[in-house]
Amino acid sequence: MSGPDLSARFLGNAAAAAAGAHSVSGTGDLLAALGRIVPAGSPVYCPGLTELEKAAAPLFPNRVADCMAAEVTVEEVFGAIAETGTIVCVSEGGRAVQAGLLPAHHVAIVRRDRIFATLDDLLAVVAGAPPTNITLVTGPSRTADIELTLAIGVHGPERLDVIVA
Amino acid sequence: MSGAQTSLSFRSNAGKAVGNQKLRAAMKHAADTFGTKRIDAFAPVADVEAMRDRASAIREEVLKNLPRYVDQFVASATRAGATVHRAKDATVAKEIIRKILADRGARRIVKGKSMVSEEVDLNAHLEAAGMEVVETDLGEYIIQLEGEAPSHIIVPAIHKDRRQVGKLFSERLGVPYSDDPQVLTRTARKVLREKFLSADAGVSGANFAAADTGSLVLFTNEGNGRMVTTVPPLHVAILSIEKMIPSLADFPDFIRLLPRSATGQTITSYVSVITGPRKPGDATGAKELHIVLLDNGRTEILGGESRDILKCIRCGACMNVCPVYRTVGGHAYGWTYPGPMGLILTTLLTGMAKSHPVVDASTLCGACVDVCPVRVPLVDIILQLRRRKVREGFSDPKEKAGMALFGKVAASPALFALGQRLAGRFWPVVRVLGGKDVAGRMPAPAKTPFRRKAP
Ligand code: SF4
Repeated sequence: MSGPDLSARFLGNAAAAAAGAHSVSGTGDLLAALGRIVPAGSPVYCPGLTELEKAAAPLFPNRVADCMAAEVTVEEVFGAIAETGTIVCVSEGGRAVQAGLLPAHHVAIVRRDRIFATLDDLLAVVAGAPPTNITLVTGPSRTADIELTLAIGVHGPERLDVIVA
Repeated sequence: MSGAQTSLSFRSNAGKAVGNQKLRAAMKHAADTFGTKRIDAFAPVADVEAMRDRASAIREEVLKNLPRYVDQFVASATRAGATVHRAKDATVAKEIIRKILADRGARRIVKGKSMVSEEVDLNAHLEAAGMEVVETDLGEYIIQLEGEAPSHIIVPAIHKDRRQVGKLFSERLGVPYSDDPQVLTRTARKVLREKFLSADAGVSGANFAAADTGSLVLFTNEGNGRMVTTVPPLHVAILSIEKMIPSLADFPDFIRLLPRSATGQTITSYVSVITGPRKPGDATGAKELHIVLLDNGRTEILGGESRDILKCIRCGACMNVCPVYRTVGGHAYGWTYPGPMGLILTTLLTGMAKSHPVVDASTLCGACVDVCPVRVPLVDIILQLRRRKVREGFSDPKEKAGMALFGKVAASPALFALGQRLAGRFWPVVRVLGGKDVAGRMPAPAKTPFRRKAP
């Protein structure tokens, strides 16, 4: 499967799992999308560990150093899986695994060339020597524990946006 | 299991459950919903049967070499920085966990959903040692507040409706009454978030363990599993030995099969792979990871005729389609695991003497076998257990005598005809002798037997 197809398949499946699905081209486009997605003025955790995160960070005047205090996390993630519409968060390189868990809104940026076609493709890459934590995230946190009625945002984010950049 | 095992009272438990209209409606709703969603979720998957074959073969392979995979897991998890403990039974497991927690002064414990911890009745043991144990899965939290046991392995509080939950929350948490699941969920989020952040330790189960990397794999939807395993400084995981999978690379089919079979989801919101505790350079994660591997009779099951039940990956699909489970619900079985898979595990893990009535809790219709993602031969195993029950002298003496008599009578046409005439004549007496549960529910014999009506 080629790049654009993978990206479309990923975004389609992510949207089916109730994530906001966005595609941008270029940094300017990314910043414009973030401006639309992230409510102005909210406390944002954006660790600035990658080039994309560094580019995005100045957009948020109210940046916090601890994800615990944030309402929104904006971060670049390890990759994505087209088959399931999943983003892949790993604890490598000093990345806090709870950044995508504690704040109510998680905005995940994934580079187009980091989209794996299938679960097999991803696991083949991480299987040998996995980092401490790998979390496959598909859609927002959810439960159906009360009368099987879907409720969103139990302990994890109630809103997940994925941006293919 | 909170409270004593009541499997011996299966019949009266079931009788009570059948009379509870509300429970029956809830059970049916859950079973139908999951059943339908399961079918829908598998519909677009091209090679389901091949996928089931592959997953079944991997589980077979694990059972064939279980001791080797367990040893490999212990070595690789240790290499990754975890401390692995092996517990031969429930008592040992509980004590290991209590000691790990007590030695570190842990008093506030947050728990993720774990059937194995229910199996060993962990909470009661820790609470007796003065610790506060908070279940954080929403369904588990609801029944913990109510002081009940789970009625369904996937949706533990399925027997409670939204009004009951609303009343419970307003009484116990001091919040205004609401019966909107979204509002109730938000209340639980707030209350439990504080618990997570102030907890000394997290206790979780695991769906699988990868032998080659020493990783734990957890499937969750709410995110509480992620909290429990990464927020507190100490993480203790308890799992039974048969949860091994040879390699992380073997997981794709299990990730495809388990959520579809359990809830009809393509994948759960979260699949976490945890390999050891926080390492130098990691920003987060538990600083210390202890893994307790529970045997509790598994090694013995492995050597016996019913070993294939250990292939089970606890998806719950067999329950949702089981006509008995759908009618009587999970509590009637009287122990941790209900449904076809559960009655087998109950009998094997707690012993025939404590559980034999649940062996009858199947119509042998085979619906369970049709849906099992890893092809556990549930009906064959139930038949093995029924034979064992008879062999070991646990069958009802009246049933045994009745069957022996019927065998003799049915073998002779003359006696059979006589029996029919006598049964018709003395039906009111037969009804009383046969007991109200059996003969009392049968229709009276026809005036003219069908045999004589036939040309
Ligand atoms: S026996 Fe099969 S269907 Fe039943 S819970 Fe286990 S894996 Fe699922």
